[in-house]
Amino acid sequence: MTALLKLEGVVAGYGRGDILRGIDLELEEATITCLVGPNGAGKSTVLKTLSGLLRPREGTIVLAGEEISRCSPAELLARGIVHVAQERSLFPLMTVWDNLLMGGHILRERPLVRKRAEAIAERFDLVRDRRDERAGALSGGQQKLVEIARALMLEPRLILMDEPTMGLDPKARHLMFEMVAQLNEEGRTVLLVEQNARAGLAIAHHGAVLDNGCVALTGPGKSLLDDPRVAELYLGGAPAAA
Amino acid sequence: MHQVIQAIILGVLVGGIYALMASGLTLVFGIMKVINVAQGALVILAAYLSYALFSHVHIDPFVSILIVTPAMFVLGVAVQLVFVRSLRGPDGSELSLLVTWALALGIEGVLSVIFKTTYRVTSPSYADSSWSVFGYRISEVRLFAFVASAVLLVLLSLLLTRTRFGRAVRATVQNPTAATLLGVDANRVQTLSFGLGVSMAAAAGAVYGVIYPFNPGSHYDLISRLLSIVVLGGLGSLGGAVFASLGMGVIEAIVAVEISPVWASFSFFVVLLAFLLVRPQGIFGVRERVL
Ligand SMILES: Nc1ncnc2c1ncn2[C@@H]1O[C@H](COP(=O)(O)OP(=O)(O)O)[C@@H](O)[C@H]1O
Ligand SMILES: [Mg+2]
Repeated sequence: MTALLKLEGVVAGYGRGDILRGIDLELEEATITCLVGPNGAGKSTVLKTLSGLLRPREGTIVLAGEEISRCSPAELLARGIVHVAQERSLFPLMTVWDNLLMGGHILRERPLVRKRAEAIAERFDLVRDRRDERAGALSGGQQKLVEIARALMLEPRLILMDEPTMGLDPKARHLMFEMVAQLNEEGRTVLLVEQNARAGLAIAHHGAVLDNGCVALTGPGKSLLDDPRVAELYLGGAPAAA
Repeated sequence: MHQVIQAIILGVLVGGIYALMASGLTLVFGIMKVINVAQGALVILAAYLSYALFSHVHIDPFVSILIVTPAMFVLGVAVQLVFVRSLRGPDGSELSLLVTWALALGIEGVLSVIFKTTYRVTSPSYADSSWSVFGYRISEVRLFAFVASAVLLVLLSLLLTRTRFGRAVRATVQNPTAATLLGVDANRVQTLSFGLGVSMAAAAGAVYGVIYPFNPGSHYDLISRLLSIVVLGGLGSLGGAVFASLGMGVIEAIVAVEISPVWASFSFFVVLLAFLLVRPQGIFGVRERVL
């Protein structure tokens, strides 16, 4: 297996305390890895550390052979890591189109940014149909979709997705999982944080369980689903049927 | 009626200059939650620079905008880097009030030493000329000042809506974390925007000195008006600041001719208070913001 990203002994946190207390994790190229764990375990903190919002205090992060733990968000974007945050992240008073252009902020070349935005509008009907509307006027699910569309402006190789299905109705949630699978089929590596561990692990190649700032368990997604320890701790009871 | 229309013309022309000064204030607030109470002093500083350029090297005050504005942009950037950037954390906004007020007093002090407290006015040859249009008097300098302000405000608005930098500024205002995640350098945006806010004060100051006599203490009156304008317009709203400036100009001018010049400035504050009782978020609340 070729590891695209490798975290070793990563320690990070906000202010005084450490939230991540030595994370070891490998992401295989062109796979989906689902990170699960109880609320407050530090899942979002892992993603923030990977996208440069937080600097690790110790440990190393290696992307395709290059040490990146000191990189700024802009430098990480340039290396193909994008982060679709847990919180709503569109600019609500800007149009859907301007939000998209912001996704290409680091590219600088205007024609290239436009070309990519046009291509994305081709792919996402939502973007094409509502490009001149204020992003804040879209529903929660639509906004999430535009956030993903915006993240694709940089044609990323690694997408960090933090609970993209949060607050969505079952139909929209299903579409979101399809979207994640599609991104992966295009050859992108996905690190998915998912509240609904059952659904997340089901579509993932690999799973990792985060507990108390450390990776407690890793393994193929399906096998974690059936692991009684996981079931007991995080899936709320008996192993998943089917 | 003639008198009222004349007053409205006067008010709009004056309001345009205030709009320019206020735009810088509201822009900086929108981006970094810093109320730059030195904005008035920076206007007066620019008025002196333009005055000095006119009286020593005979540069027309409207031409001096092209010199004073970039120079004060650099000053603004330096001030932000040295004094404002370090004010982070929960008390940042309050501390920035103190720091920028200290800056205002510092500028006033330096100007008092150099220029004394005598009132000055920049008087190009056309200072007292005016045109007559349908029987209404339109002062040349006031019209030039209004046009210069309008052009600069349009440029500022184009910068914010049409350029990569402007988009990054608006993004930072609306969601700083999301902007950072897209590679926007928040520090850079803040520094450049502060410089931009100061350059608006600079451009306005160059023309202010042609219309009003000023001395180093003139900034007290200016900043109280500017703060009222940005509060009335809605803190952080550019459109609101323009609207409120024109409103202030017109109200004051009408009161001056219909009631008494003595009540003119007071009348605007009465309107401000009454308005805020009904709509505390200002004319343009959060939803309608331009930024
Ligand atoms: N900005 C922050 N400042 C301080 N503490 C934070 C911040 N964000 C999260 N935390 C704390 O870090 C811990 C892990 O949070 P998070 O990574 O968001 O967990 P998860 O995403 O797994 O629910 C929690 O205890 C949370 O309170
Ligand atoms: Mg989280």
